[in-house]
Amino acid sequence: MFLALHEIRRAKVRFGLLSGAVGLLVFLILFQQALLGGLINQFIGAIEHQSGEVLVYNGQARKNLEGSIILPAQEEAIAAVEGVGEASPLGEATFTVMAGGSVTDAVLFGYVLGKPGAPTTLIEGRLPEGPNEAVASEKDRDDGFDLGEVVQVQPDGVSITVVGIARDINYSVSPVLFTDFATYESAKRTRNPDAETILPSAIAIHLAPGANAAEVAQRINDEVEGVQALTRQQAVDGSPGVSSVRSSFVIILGLFYLVVPLVTGLFFLIVTFQKASALTLLRAIGARSRTLVSALLIQVLLVMAVGSLIAFGLYAVALQGVQNLGVRVEVMPAVYTSLVVLVLALSTSLVAVRRVLRLDPLAATTGVGVHL
Amino acid sequence: MTVLDMRDVRKVYRSGDADIVALDHATLQVDHGEIVALLGPSGSGKTTLLSIAGGLLAATEGKVMVGGHDISEYDGKQLTEFRRNNVGFVFQSVNLVPFLTAEENLLVVDELGGGKGGKGAKARARQLLEELGLGHRTRNLPSQLSGGERQRVAIGRALFNNPRLVLFDEPTSALDTKLGAQVMELIRNEMKARDTAAIIVTHDRRMTEYADRTVEIVDGRLGAEAPAH
Repeated sequence: MFLALHEIRRAKVRFGLLSGAVGLLVFLILFQQALLGGLINQFIGAIEHQSGEVLVYNGQARKNLEGSIILPAQEEAIAAVEGVGEASPLGEATFTVMAGGSVTDAVLFGYVLGKPGAPTTLIEGRLPEGPNEAVASEKDRDDGFDLGEVVQVQPDGVSITVVGIARDINYSVSPVLFTDFATYESAKRTRNPDAETILPSAIAIHLAPGANAAEVAQRINDEVEGVQALTRQQAVDGSPGVSSVRSSFVIILGLFYLVVPLVTGLFFLIVTFQKASALTLLRAIGARSRTLVSALLIQVLLVMAVGSLIAFGLYAVALQGVQNLGVRVEVMPAVYTSLVVLVLALSTSLVAVRRVLRLDPLAATTGVGVHL
Repeated sequence: MTVLDMRDVRKVYRSGDADIVALDHATLQVDHGEIVALLGPSGSGKTTLLSIAGGLLAATEGKVMVGGHDISEYDGKQLTEFRRNNVGFVFQSVNLVPFLTAEENLLVVDELGGGKGGKGAKARARQLLEELGLGHRTRNLPSQLSGGERQRVAIGRALFNNPRLVLFDEPTSALDTKLGAQVMELIRNEMKARDTAAIIVTHDRRMTEYADRTVEIVDGRLGAEAPAH
């Protein structure tokens, strides 16, 4: 500790610059992760945060609710598959609505009250208890989707009162209303008054006790003709656009996760080279290798800790500016990210550690040719 | 009482198929408070002998006793601990840690020994620096000190742990003649005041006048001994 802290004290600018650089890089990681989470939530939050553990789409819908319908016979067959506890219709469609005095698009999710398909992230109000009630997204409160506000499907369609607010339930970057299935049917009939039957877009499933989602999905795919059953996570990951957005971000984030430890490792390697004579002298006068390695690792820890604090500060400030994207400060993911970066930085610093361990105290007698 | 007792010590380096004898059956004893000058030309084996005596280098053959410790068979860890607790070093050029002040360069010895640089250690560091004429330089970094001042700080560091033996490797080679003489005078006074044994390696015959005894070394062999001046 003595050596580590005194060296930092005497080289504040050098260590400060490194901490700042680490802080900026970690901030970029945190920000992009938050951005990715926000974008994904905007695309498929409604699927991720509904209560069905398995979703069954039409086999030709390519995992897209918009292009999916489930026939009554299929619904019956799905309900009969082993491991299915409850199977219930889930409707999804985009409507033009009047909200907050403006005309806008909104996505209605219709589910059978008390059955699978209900939003799971309610933060205020309650779930619908009857027709013409809905849960809206927290993100759209200011756009006419707040508690008590009435949203009307255009033209002259059903009026829906917002009775609950849930977090992260947007879909296709649009406001979402979770209503009962009958309200959803009414909205559909506004657009198509002659429709005899309103078919569900998918079937939401609660598993029977002890059943496994992936196994049940596989069983449905094996036993029911013309459908594609997916676990909730598979439905999220497979939604159109999501995988390409995610893979783009993964590449960028991967590069940042590579750069931070490389910068840190290189810095400490250079510093170790620069102070090789002093380290050799210390070894000669009786410093254990362990003492010198500890000093090095303490410095890595301190730099990463200060860098992380800088990153947290920037992260909190920056996210205020992009709240419209549905991103917010989340402490634990930021802490986990910092820990991962710290572990990676410690790993790359092992190169410097190796150099320290190879110091030959005898080199202090020559003053030149300090071997690293 | 003998502080350093080296008997029949050999150091052989292997170079390809050939053996290079750096130290050849060297036998040397140094008593408490005795200052021995080890005089010889470059490549004569002076530093090798000093390194073996100080536990920086293991002998190929022979026995090395320092302060009652037989260090001949010590492994790397034991030698590190031995150096920390029993020997003081003043090297030719690289002598101070550049990011530590004069006082901290002494306190680091306490730190390496598991101390916490507490009040006692600080008081001792200041007292030593005061004795060495550096009371006003305690907070200066090595880069802010002159060559002579740096060597005096190094002497203070070497004495900080009250070692039985202090080894000086060409301590005045980087200093001019006048400053070199002052440093040698200081070394002699400090060693005598503490009754500490010392070996001073030098190739400058003028420096031997500060020693009690001079031992010459040529081609790894210890030769004639000259009495005190």
